[in-house]
Amino acid sequence: MASTAISKPIAHRRSRLYGLRDGVNWLYVLPALFFFCMYMLYPIIEVIVISFTDYKFLSSEPMRFTGLTNFINALQDPLVHKGLLRALYFTSIFLPGVIFIPLFVAILVDRVTNPALASLYRVILLIPAVIPGPMIFVLWRWMYDFEVGPINTILVNYLNLFTYRNAPQWLGNSPLTIPAIAFVEWWWGLGYHTMFFLAGLAAIPKELFEAAKVDGANEWQMFWNVTLPRLRPIFVVLVVLRFGTAMAVIDEYIIMGGFNRALPTYTWTVYMWHLAFNIGNWFQGYAAAIGWIGAAAMLVVVGLLFYVFRDRD
Amino acid sequence: MAVSAKSIDSARIATHPSKKGLHWSTILLHATLIFFCAVIVLPLFWVVLMSVKSIPDAYSGSLWPKQFDFTHYGYALQKLPYIWRNFGNSIVVTFSTVLITSACAVLAAYAIVHLRLPGKLLLVSLLVGTLYFPTRLVSIIGIFRIQASLGLINTMPGLILPYVTLNLALSILVMKGIFEQISPEILDAARIDGASSWRILWMVMLPLIANGLVVLLIINFVTAWGEFLLAYTLTNDQAMRTLPVALATAMGGFGEWAWPALAAVYVMAITPGITAFAIAQRWYMKGLQEGALKF
Repeated sequence: MASTAISKPIAHRRSRLYGLRDGVNWLYVLPALFFFCMYMLYPIIEVIVISFTDYKFLSSEPMRFTGLTNFINALQDPLVHKGLLRALYFTSIFLPGVIFIPLFVAILVDRVTNPALASLYRVILLIPAVIPGPMIFVLWRWMYDFEVGPINTILVNYLNLFTYRNAPQWLGNSPLTIPAIAFVEWWWGLGYHTMFFLAGLAAIPKELFEAAKVDGANEWQMFWNVTLPRLRPIFVVLVVLRFGTAMAVIDEYIIMGGFNRALPTYTWTVYMWHLAFNIGNWFQGYAAAIGWIGAAAMLVVVGLLFYVFRDRD
Repeated sequence: MAVSAKSIDSARIATHPSKKGLHWSTILLHATLIFFCAVIVLPLFWVVLMSVKSIPDAYSGSLWPKQFDFTHYGYALQKLPYIWRNFGNSIVVTFSTVLITSACAVLAAYAIVHLRLPGKLLLVSLLVGTLYFPTRLVSIIGIFRIQASLGLINTMPGLILPYVTLNLALSILVMKGIFEQISPEILDAARIDGASSWRILWMVMLPLIANGLVVLLIINFVTAWGEFLLAYTLTNDQAMRTLPVALATAMGGFGEWAWPALAAVYVMAITPGITAFAIAQRWYMKGLQEGALKF
């Protein structure tokens, strides 16, 4: 392989035709490919297969092929409907905050002229990004705790806005639960997403601002007409990616809410897990169908988002 | 929105001060940023404080303790059941996962960017595709079945193997961004000198991707160190669980899991990540700028 490269390396690079020898380079991809096939592709295919059966993990009866029964049942299951709506409600609160707050902060950090201060702000904002997710949720389960949580402590003992009788209940069966969890996600993602936007801001040529200034544009017009269009690709990727993560959230619900069906944190993801690994004989066939319905619903919206944000130029 | 527009305006003026001294808009800019930084830091500060409060102070409803008590760390390590085991499990699982994932990602990304690879486009689009699909959620039942049939439930390899795929696609794409910053001419020059593609990766490429590698290691470290769902599903023996699962399932309150003891375990659990970040922060930032975020 090295010998062919020596003869005409550059011409070789440009040619579109691949030779048989280039297949050898797949050896480099092989380790990654093994893990993909073994622990992503194969399990997903297996989940498709068992979604058409009445498979229960703990049951000793052999699984039977039941066709679309699981899907028909799941589509009529009120808990699936409720679960999808709950996930959608969370997403609709989560998404704006996880995009616009970091955008705002990135614009501010971008204007800090002192390099030492600028990097200090970045480092502090990035601290939550190096704390693992479950740790974040455990931390905020304490912050929101009704009795010892510092938020209620401040509200009751320091600001005297409430007493322990009527202090807000942040988690559990409360309308505040979903916004409270969304806030945790904003807190967690702030630094990381700010970095994305800062990378985007750094890539904008400064001449564009100079030109706009010469044309008499004010700050707001420059932001709207120069900065925002340039950040568009990052913006689109973040919106679609975060939509996906938000709809499929499960760790936070299990850690902060548990498995109580009445709670607003009992979404389709928790329901799926609960069915597959806890309820009765572990109804994995039915759970697999629910997983696919949720995933399919998400894919439709992701496709729609890409269509809405497509480049019209 | 009105507020943000105003501070953007004022901040821009601040970068071109007409006279010496602090302009009020500069103060506003920094005040806003300090506010955000405080929101980030205060909850963490609260946990650290909680871990050194005396037991009565922890339940008294005041933020600042009257009496400090630094014994909770020792207590947590000595008395809490399985904490050492959980800690050890986390270290083994995380270390193996980070190593395997990073190696796989570097090799694959190198081939994608710098070698001739038939079907490259298909591979990259598949990788990007998995980012938009809830793979972890949809595959978890299948992964459980595989590990159960291999007898890997409640074992370390049972966690490590599926952990590798968690971040593999993202890792390859991040490394692809890093490798794309390296000019192909360097590769061609090395080739003319007769180096094989394997030697080029080790001798020429590795030093050039060092900063990106730091980003990769940190991203994978954070994911593996804190993974919850798989560990929660694939282990049910308290002694085989990882630290995050042990912590998340420990209900705070009284007795051995009193709040300060729990907080002490918590501080010990998040310290490795923050320390690694503090040490590697300079390379991490460089790596981010070098293209780790452009995929």
